[in-house]
Amino acid sequence: MVFLGAILLFMGLFNQTIQTAILYQRHRSLATKCSDLLDNMLLNPGVPLDWGKSNCTPTGFGLQDPEFTQYRLSSFSLMRLRSSTGEPVYYSKTGLTYSNITMGFGNFLLVPYTKAIDYPTASSLLGTNGTYGFQLTIAPIITVSISETQPKNPLKISVTVTGQGFPLSNALVSYCFLTVSLTGGEGSYPAYTIKYGNTTTDEKGSVSPPLEFAEVNDDKVCYAFIAYAHLSGLMGVGYHERVTSSKQYIIPFIDDLAMRRVLIAHSYDVHDFGPPNAELSYNATFVLLTEDFTLREMPIENSTGKVNYGVGNPYDAVTIPTYNPGILIITYRKSAVEGGVVLMPWGISSMAFPVTFGDETLGREWVATDIRQVLINNIAYQAKLALWSLQGYQVIG
Amino acid sequence: MMRTIEVFLVILIITAAFIISSFFAVLPQPRQVSPLNLRRLALTTLQTLDGNYDLSGTAFKSPNDPAWGGLQIALSACLPPNMVYNLTVYEVLSGGTQLYTSIHSISNAESLGVSSDASSYLVASSNVTFSVVPEKIGERGGGGTLYILNCSDANGWWITGYTAHSLAEDLYNLLSPYFKTTIMIQNTTQLAKILNGTSIQGETLRNATVINTVGEAVPIPSGYYASLGVGYDGSSYARYCHTLGQRVRQYNWTWVSIVGYPLYYVSNTGLFSNEQNTWGIYGMKHVGPAGLNAFLRGLDNQAYSYNTNWITGEPGVVYLSPEALYYCNYYGIYPSPYQTSTRALPDSILTTYHLPQSSVTYIFNKVGNWIPGAVYRHIAAGDNKITGSFFALGLTRTPDIRLTGLGLLCAFKPRLYRSEYTATGTSRLVVLQLGQVGGV
Repeated sequence: MVFLGAILLFMGLFNQTIQTAILYQRHRSLATKCSDLLDNMLLNPGVPLDWGKSNCTPTGFGLQDPEFTQYRLSSFSLMRLRSSTGEPVYYSKTGLTYSNITMGFGNFLLVPYTKAIDYPTASSLLGTNGTYGFQLTIAPIITVSISETQPKNPLKISVTVTGQGFPLSNALVSYCFLTVSLTGGEGSYPAYTIKYGNTTTDEKGSVSPPLEFAEVNDDKVCYAFIAYAHLSGLMGVGYHERVTSSKQYIIPFIDDLAMRRVLIAHSYDVHDFGPPNAELSYNATFVLLTEDFTLREMPIENSTGKVNYGVGNPYDAVTIPTYNPGILIITYRKSAVEGGVVLMPWGISSMAFPVTFGDETLGREWVATDIRQVLINNIAYQAKLALWSLQGYQVIG
Repeated sequence: MMRTIEVFLVILIITAAFIISSFFAVLPQPRQVSPLNLRRLALTTLQTLDGNYDLSGTAFKSPNDPAWGGLQIALSACLPPNMVYNLTVYEVLSGGTQLYTSIHSISNAESLGVSSDASSYLVASSNVTFSVVPEKIGERGGGGTLYILNCSDANGWWITGYTAHSLAEDLYNLLSPYFKTTIMIQNTTQLAKILNGTSIQGETLRNATVINTVGEAVPIPSGYYASLGVGYDGSSYARYCHTLGQRVRQYNWTWVSIVGYPLYYVSNTGLFSNEQNTWGIYGMKHVGPAGLNAFLRGLDNQAYSYNTNWITGEPGVVYLSPEALYYCNYYGIYPSPYQTSTRALPDSILTTYHLPQSSVTYIFNKVGNWIPGAVYRHIAAGDNKITGSFFALGLTRTPDIRLTGLGLLCAFKPRLYRSEYTATGTSRLVVLQLGQVGGV
C-alpha cells in the first residue's frame, strides 16, 4: 500500500513538470508557425499574380507586390481584403454590401463583398482552415496628424509627424491643398484649385509655424489637405477636409477593380437624414505621388456629373485612369454655400489606410504574434499577425 | 519492520531523484516561449529604410554627416517602443585576412536587453556603375552583320509618327552592341550592292540580318532589280519580292518586317516619282498581298507566280510569349506586353513554305491559327540546315522598334556578361541588432 502511494507520488511530481514542458514546446511551436505563416503571406504574390487588380477569386493567397521582391506588398491585393473592423455598408441601388475601411468623415474605401476576399477563403487557401485562426493587421508606421488651428484670414493648418511614439524631426513634408469653389451658379459643377508645396518638420516633428493659406478668407470655404512626410526611407500620409454639407455628400463605391470603375452615390441612399434632400453636382480628379515625393494631378474622363437620392435617380460612375496608387478627390456642391470634398484611396497605401483582416483575437487561449516592417508603394507599414490554435488546449505542432 | 524501512528508503531515493532531476530540468523563460522573430524584424527594418536607397546613401556618408541623425530618427520611429537597437556599418575589405572593418555605429541603449538577434544587409554605393558586356551575334557560328535599311530614296508606310531615318537610328542604338558589325544602308544603290553579294565595307555578308525600316513598303533599287524578269513581271513588282526571298535564302539572311503587311508596296522616289501608292504617297508603288506570297515562294525556292490572295488575319489584342517575357527581363527591354495585331500570318505558311514549327521563335502567343509575331526559319525539305529566316511582326501601326529588338534578341540569344558586384570600396555591410527591454 505504502509502495503504491510512493509510485503515485512519483508519477504526480513528474507529470506536472512534463505537462508544463510539453505546453511550453507547443506554444513555442505556435510562435514558429506564426512567423512562417506571416512570411508565407508577405513573400508570395498569390495566384494569379495580379489578383489584386482583377475581380477574380485567387487560387493562392499572398499579398506581395508581384512587380517587386522581398517585403513589398500590393496596395491593391490589400484593398480586396474584407475588413473585419469596419461596419459593412449596404447600398440599395446595387443591392450589394460593401466592406468598409472608412477613416472618418470624407475618407472612404468601400469594396463590394462580391469582389472582396473573406477570411474563410483566405484561411482555406493558406491551409489553416480548422486548425489555426489568425488576424492580420497592416498599419502605417508613420502618423501624419493634420488639424486646423485657425479657420480663416489666413487659414492655418498644423502638421505633426510621429513614428511609433517618436517624433519624426527634420522630415520633408510635401502637400497638396485643394480648395472648392461653389459659386458657379445654379446647377453648376464645383470648381477646384490645387496648390502644391513643400516644408519640413522641426525637432518635435511639427511643421512650425503652421502652414498658412491667405486665400482662405471665409470659414465656409471647403478644402482638402493631403500631406506626405518622408525621412530616411520612411514615408507616411495624412489628410484633412473641411466641408459645409456634411449630411448630403458623395460616397464613392468601388465597382469593378479590373475596369477601375468607381460608382458615385448620393449619401442619402446610404444614410437618410430626412428631408429636404438635394441633388449634388460633383467634379472628380485623381492625384498620385511621383518618385520625387511630389503630387501630380491626372485628369479623369467624364469627371463631372449630378446624382440624387431615391428611385429613378441612378448613380454615376468614373474610371480611374491608372493602376498607379493615388487618391480620387471628389468635390461636390449642394448649393452656392454648401458643398465639400471627399477622398478615396486607389490602393490602400495612397492614404495610409490600415487593414485588419481575419478573426477576433479576444478570448483565445494562447495567441502568438509576430511583426514585419513592409513597404506598400513606398509607404512604411507594419504587418502584424496574431495566430492561435483552433484545436483547443492541445496545440498542434 | 524491515519492509517499512525499505519502503521509506525507496521513497527517499525517488524523492531525491525527483529533486535532482528537477534541478537539471530547467524550463525556458516565458519570453523564449513565444518570441518575436527579431532577426526577421531587423531584416525588414533595414529593407524598409533602404526602400528608396536612403540607407545605401547614408551608409557611404562620413560619420559627421547629418544624414546619420535622420537615419537614427527613422530607426527609432519605426521600431516598437520596447525595442533597443544597435546599427553598425562595416566596410567590406578584400585581399587581407580581415573581411570587415567598422565604419560607424548608432544605438539607443548601452546594452541589448535580455534577448537579441541581428540581421545583415549589403548596400552598394550610388557611385558604382555596373557594366554589362554583351556577346556579339556571330561570334559563334559566323555572320554577325546587321544591315539597317535607311534608304534616303525610299518612302515609308505605316510608320506613322516616325521617319525611317529615326527608326533606323533607334534600332542602331538598341541593337548595334549585340552585332559584330552594324551598317546603315543609306540608299537603294547600296541595297543593290548587298543584293548582288558585295559587301559595303568588308563585312561578312552571309548570315546577316536585314531590317526594313520603311514599314509595309520595301526599298527597290532601280536598274537591274526593277527590270523585267528580276523585279518586274510586266504588271507587278511582286517579282522583286520573289527575288528578295531568293537572296534571303541564298545568303541565309534574316529579313525583318517591323510592322503591318510585309512587302505590300515597293518604294523608290526616283523610279516612281510620278507614281503613288493609292493613298497619295508618291515614290511608292502598290504591290498588295502578292508581294509577301512571292517573297515566301522565293524563300522556299519555288518558281515565281503572281498570287494576290490576302493571307493575314486580325486576331486583335495579342500577348508576348513566355519566352519573350523572359528575355524582356534578361535584356532590359520592356515594351507593352500586349499589342494589337491586324496582320498576323496564318500557321499554314509553316507547311506550305517549309518553315518548320520546331524552329519558329514565337514573340507573341499564337491566337488560333494566327501568328502575330515570330521568327520563321526556312529548312528545305530533306535538309537540316537553315537557309534564310523571316521575322514578321504583324501588328498594327505605329511600330514599336523595341519589339523588333526584343524579337531578334529572342531569336539569337546573345549572352550578357555582367561585371562583378563586390568590388572593393563599393559595398558596405549594415548590421542591425535588435533587443527587447523589460522583464523576462
